[in-house]
Amino acid sequence: MKNTVRDLRAARGLSQGDLARTMGVSRQTINAIETERYTPSLPLAIALARYFGTPVEEVFDNDGHNHA
Amino acid sequence: MMATIMHEEGRRSLTSRLLCSRYTLPVFSVALGLLIMGLFLHAGDWVGGVWSLGIMTGFAGVVLLGGRSETIRGLRGDGRDERFAMIDLRATAVSGLVVTVAIIVGFMIEISQGHSGAPYAQLGAIAGLAYLGAIAVQRLRS
Repeated sequence: MKNTVRDLRAARGLSQGDLARTMGVSRQTINAIETERYTPSLPLAIALARYFGTPVEEVFDNDGHNHA
Repeated sequence: MMATIMHEEGRRSLTSRLLCSRYTLPVFSVALGLLIMGLFLHAGDWVGGVWSLGIMTGFAGVVLLGGRSETIRGLRGDGRDERFAMIDLRATAVSGLVVTVAIIVGFMIEISQGHSGAPYAQLGAIAGLAYLGAIAVQRLRS
């Protein structure tokens, strides 16, 4: 899923390892999210959005895949 | 109700701690190796017993001393997060599928040779019933 995690992380001067430790996941998981190889669970997506102080829909873009 | 929730939390965290301990899988492997060796010795085959214990202990050593590789840490439990849990679930599904196909092929070979199909028929029945049971339970839980 497209997302702005890399930009938000870089804007705060954080490494993938720093963000991973904060979120309680592995560095590889943060890398997989940033490179759109892994779509995080809803709790992790919300935790990331809250950490960056951004609405979750601004961090993650479902690219028109609307389930409604 | 709060006591129940706290009890559940405590139980979950104990389970979680056990699953996430880097020693759980190595200890389990060595214990299984000892059990298998005991069964071999009971049957009078000490060579098979020593080989089995050696293989299981070797695997335990690789897992325990395998460094910081994500695969090793995920298997060991201390590097496990939601993504690795998903990888683990998919890998389990693939290995289950491979074993099921092997059972079906084994059953077909057995019956083509005029045999009863045992033990493949029984193993296939166990796999099928376990799958249906798991579907029923998961449907109720989710």
